[in-house]
Amino acid sequence: MSMIETRNLTRKYGDITAVNNLSLTIGEGELFALLGVNGAGKTTTIRMLSCLSKPSSGEAFVDGHSCSAESKAVKQVIGLSPQDTAVADHLTVRENLEFMAAVYGYDKAEVKQRTDRIIEEFHLGEVVNQRAQTLSGGWKRKLSIAMALISDPKVLFLDEPTLGLDVLARRELWREIEKLKGKMTIVLTTHYMEEAEHLSDRIAIMIAGRIAAVGTLEEILAKGGADNLEDAFVAIAEANTDDYAGGNV
Amino acid sequence: MNRVLAFADRNRKEILRDPLSYIFCLAFPLAMLVVMTLVNASIPKESGMTVFRIDNLAVGIAVFGQTFVMLFTGLTVSKDRSGSFLVRMYATPMESSDFTLGYLLPMLIIALAQNLLIYLASLVISLITGPAINPLGLLVSLVTLIPSAVMFICIGLLFGTLFSEKAAPGLCSIIISLSSFVGCVWFDADHTGGVMLTICRVLPFYYCTRAGRSAIRLDFGMDTWVIPLLIVVLCAAALTAVSSFVFRSKMKADLS
Repeated sequence: MSMIETRNLTRKYGDITAVNNLSLTIGEGELFALLGVNGAGKTTTIRMLSCLSKPSSGEAFVDGHSCSAESKAVKQVIGLSPQDTAVADHLTVRENLEFMAAVYGYDKAEVKQRTDRIIEEFHLGEVVNQRAQTLSGGWKRKLSIAMALISDPKVLFLDEPTLGLDVLARRELWREIEKLKGKMTIVLTTHYMEEAEHLSDRIAIMIAGRIAAVGTLEEILAKGGADNLEDAFVAIAEANTDDYAGGNV
Repeated sequence: MNRVLAFADRNRKEILRDPLSYIFCLAFPLAMLVVMTLVNASIPKESGMTVFRIDNLAVGIAVFGQTFVMLFTGLTVSKDRSGSFLVRMYATPMESSDFTLGYLLPMLIIALAQNLLIYLASLVISLITGPAINPLGLLVSLVTLIPSAVMFICIGLLFGTLFSEKAAPGLCSIIISLSSFVGCVWFDADHTGGVMLTICRVLPFYYCTRAGRSAIRLDFGMDTWVIPLLIVVLCAAALTAVSSFVFRSKMKADLS
């Protein structure tokens, strides 16, 4: 069953087309990676799917609800961890989580129960009373993802979740993301090949606002005629960039 | 309402955990209260200058303090907008009215607490230096200044919504200087007269201090309390409507 569907989704900023005729389907419980270089249209796609931007044309559906016409219903079932960590700096880890839970309208008992659960699941116990501004980059990312999960979303959007993290913090965050696999649909944007390779059920390679290839890792490797994702990515990107630049597709 | 209270609580904590807010919103106005009391002691009685007499000064400093709450409102909103915090919040079920009320409520409580502390300090000073202030007058004046606090908070909300993290505090500083000057915090426009009095009467700040000062003396005259208060209430209502509309429009534009 599909959880996310886009039909010819397009977003233009003046003369620039950030996302161009994007049509894809993402299944329930799938971890789907949008892989692309900076400016490929990954964040714009996430913004449209999480009702933060309106498409110039085309349509997107999340859990059967239109992102344009039923944004309230969509916002009830999604969680978003933006590219920047977006946490309240002067609040502690616990207060940040309680705040997000309260925003979704839960009563006091429910807020506490959800906060306690997420602190345990994300191993945030050792920093629970620390203010967010004093956390390291890795902890902040963990908190940001935990905040996105407080409402038990059906769909979780992770926009460049490990950007700027050191290798240990990145691996730690991968482990947390892996634990979420199958429990909800996850759409992850990244430009790290190994991240997409390691975490995803399916990968979409975005070049200049369009999907150049989509499939499992094996399918992408076969399409790129390579034995690793980076080579496959480069081959697919080079094959498509000229076409897109020429406006042939 | 849950969402409003949650957001209001977050904003309250963000402000109260910033040491700068205590320096600007409390320490500085209290220091000015003491300094101006000392200045008043040096002014010869024959001069007839009463603007720094403790009952007048208390209200002036309370209004002056409210302008710093405006500054921190502007700072908080512009900071939220410049980072990705509001982006995250826009992806939740929160609506524009939740945001505006969530900013307004904690700032109003902070302004009230600040004014209460300034008035308590003024009461103590008045008992030492005289003339003694009527505590009932202080209480009525505290309530009278609520619309003024709303007005300043909404100016902060407006600037924080429209301008960047760098520009909003600068513009708020202009309002702080302007409002304390033409609001008659530091001089008595009624005794000055002329163009200066006309300028003061055109802007709402003069009426904030006028209504507050009348209330502290339990003077509820039409010209001294009712009309000035009505003007401030109307300005506060208008600025609340304008700042809410501008925030909603900006949010709509952000999400388009």
